[in-house]
Amino acid sequence: MEKNKEIIFSVFFIGAVIFSLSLFLCFAPKEEYSISERRKLKELPQFSSEGLKKGELGKELEEYTLDHFPFREEFRGLKNLVSQGIFRKLDQGGLYHREGYLVKMEYPLNGEMLEYGSEKLLGIYEKYLKDSGSRCYLSLIPDKNYFLGEKYGMLTIDYELMFRQFSERLPFAKYLDITGLLGIEDYYKTDTHWRQEQLLDVAKYLGKEMGAEVEAPYDKIKAEKPFAGVYAGQWSLPVEGEDLYYLTNGILDNCRVYSVGEKNNTAEGIYDRKKLEDKDPYEMFLSGNKAILVIENPAVREKKELLVFRDSFASSLVPLLVPGYSKITLVDIRYVQSNILDYYIDFSGQDVLFLYSSLILNQSRSFK
Amino acid sequence: MLFSSIPFLYCFFPIFFICYYLSPSFMKNGVIVLFSLVFYGWQEGRYVLLMVAVILLGYVYGVFLERVEKPKKKKMILIFAIISYLAILGYFKYTNFFMDNFSRLFSIKNPIGTILLPIGISFYIFQIMSYNIDVYRNTCKAQKNPLIVAAYISLFPQLIAGPIVRYKDIEEQLLQRSHSFLKTYEGMKKFFIGLGKKILLANQLGECCDIFRQRGEDSSLFFWLYAIAFLFHIYFDFSGYSDMAIGLAEMMGFRLMENFNYPYISRSITEFWRRWHISLGTWFRDYVYIPLGGNRVTFSRWLFNIGIVWFLTGFWHGASWNFILWGMYFALFLMIEKLGLKKYLEKNRFFSHCYVLFFVMVSFLIFDGLSLKEAGRNFLGLFGVGCETLVGAESIYYLKNFLIVILVSVVFATPIGKLIVKKLLQKVFGKRYFILAETAGMLLILLAATAYLVDGSFNPFLYFRF
Repeated sequence: MEKNKEIIFSVFFIGAVIFSLSLFLCFAPKEEYSISERRKLKELPQFSSEGLKKGELGKELEEYTLDHFPFREEFRGLKNLVSQGIFRKLDQGGLYHREGYLVKMEYPLNGEMLEYGSEKLLGIYEKYLKDSGSRCYLSLIPDKNYFLGEKYGMLTIDYELMFRQFSERLPFAKYLDITGLLGIEDYYKTDTHWRQEQLLDVAKYLGKEMGAEVEAPYDKIKAEKPFAGVYAGQWSLPVEGEDLYYLTNGILDNCRVYSVGEKNNTAEGIYDRKKLEDKDPYEMFLSGNKAILVIENPAVREKKELLVFRDSFASSLVPLLVPGYSKITLVDIRYVQSNILDYYIDFSGQDVLFLYSSLILNQSRSFK
Repeated sequence: MLFSSIPFLYCFFPIFFICYYLSPSFMKNGVIVLFSLVFYGWQEGRYVLLMVAVILLGYVYGVFLERVEKPKKKKMILIFAIISYLAILGYFKYTNFFMDNFSRLFSIKNPIGTILLPIGISFYIFQIMSYNIDVYRNTCKAQKNPLIVAAYISLFPQLIAGPIVRYKDIEEQLLQRSHSFLKTYEGMKKFFIGLGKKILLANQLGECCDIFRQRGEDSSLFFWLYAIAFLFHIYFDFSGYSDMAIGLAEMMGFRLMENFNYPYISRSITEFWRRWHISLGTWFRDYVYIPLGGNRVTFSRWLFNIGIVWFLTGFWHGASWNFILWGMYFALFLMIEKLGLKKYLEKNRFFSHCYVLFFVMVSFLIFDGLSLKEAGRNFLGLFGVGCETLVGAESIYYLKNFLIVILVSVVFATPIGKLIVKKLLQKVFGKRYFILAETAGMLLILLAATAYLVDGSFNPFLYFRF
């Protein structure tokens, strides 16, 4: 009799759990955007007989229910716990957590991408720089896996080979090796990027090699809100936010910053403090992703210009190069076609720095 | 719709069971048919009508087979029925294969183009065929109510990936079946065990196989890792689905036959096929092998019978040369075993287990290969042929990454896993709270499976292509 009661209880209990989650799924208010994944969530698909016939409607509805499942983040966290705790998986979708750092396991080395990326940069040199009298430099930034991967038995690409191969493909540029100046502590724990306040020696080295005096005193300002980078959301388990600092001084405050090729041609100065409240606070450095951005520094009277072909890592480093130049133009060829750059930029013998992270080089298909 | 999907677990499942349990007995089969059509149409809207046509065909043939009394005429109807079913199956499943080979052989362009395979067609065609054959053999009566035939064929738990249920086995249950909390509880238990097998083990092992397919390193270790991962992946994928199907059916008051019985503990290939996809094996035995004469024929005819059955078994699994080779591969082992190897295997326990596991593993390399060339490459890779190295950093990493999943799979592919869980629950919770402990276990599997589903979309079922 007791057993029967327990069985009845069990059936109703499991049924109630399923039914409650079903009700939540159907009637709970829906989010439009997932901050942790940095993407728009699926909308309820429109019914169409064609979609039904082809089975597409079912697929779309499945995607919708996956995106809007109640307690989605908590369930993702539970998956991470089971995966790590029970199955002892070493990484979660390529992401691992060691020494307090969330690290993306960049692997394998993509030879095709390296070739594609170097061809694009070579094309830029051939088209715009070859006869312009510019001095070209190349510097490559290792991702966090460079520092922790091998130590913890994770898969790592052969960074030395990658950097050597890439620099050899661009013989016109002097390779400036910054790997010795960097350590894991120079990166955010929860984000891909490096910490600006740790980059003074990198900026000093680059400036020296390019013949510019970039050293200057800075005030170190701490952002009010703790920073949770892009990996924090992907990790799905709670991780502590960290402090985000930025360096500023009178020179940087007086710079004129504007974007080129956009409708309004505006940017919010070197630091866009409003972005600290947004979903990706790292975008406060030079207003995040911009195709072409110009920084004019009135503090340097003589004309000394720098052209930087870059990815997002440059956003936090380039402000530290500003004291040495009257004008710095940053170009991100992920957002602008590289064959129309002369429409926006006057190639007139500026110093040119190609500054890219290993993450981007290994996936350089986005270069236009 | 997949059982292991959010729409099934949290939309279809609760709505169906509320409607099913609340509907009076005379309406329950109607509810089954209605929901089964939705279940099938969700994935294969365009082929719902095909399934309905097959049901009607089966119903009409069944009625005629019973009404006609002259044996010759009866036989003609049966032959006509079988030809029509095989024509449907042949058109949808095998046209691409034949046209591809034809166009390759004569170097001409395929004039027909690609025909999409309706999900589960191999399963429901075999079911309706068995129904008509059984009516012909007088082992069951023809069903006068088309709704019952529709419920039998479209019964959604077994509709798209089996087990292949025979009408005569569930005839009475279709007409009248009892429902109880105990049946629902036992069905739920079976369903959640299947769900766990599918999502927590099979999908992870499938991920390991996918990583191998995109590997950057050709090492012998990697080929072994893939072969072992696929061996367990296919078992947990298919047996997990069967468990879910049997569990769901039990919740609806049906008792379906078991489809898997720990095949990897077998000590011969003959035994393996008594434990693997039992419903298919017995189908071929009863409807092909025995009618051909079985083993009560001359030696050469007997070899021919085995060859035919295993050719068909391979071809049933898929329209490609890999599957034909796969079937014939097993035919060869079954012949060798029957010719004397089996006696030797019975004497040597350790060797017999190693023999079965190795040759079954190799068979699945053929099964999973996209071509015979790829299957051969994967087989040779096990022995380091064509490999850059025996062991590499990538293979070591993934071995470490999937080691626990593989070990858990090894344990749960034997009865030891079930025994350990039972003993553990009894020890921790005692007999008094055993049911509550089981409930907690079911809940944990449900939540963990949901977590895996929500986190990723890697969830294809292998047996859908059949």
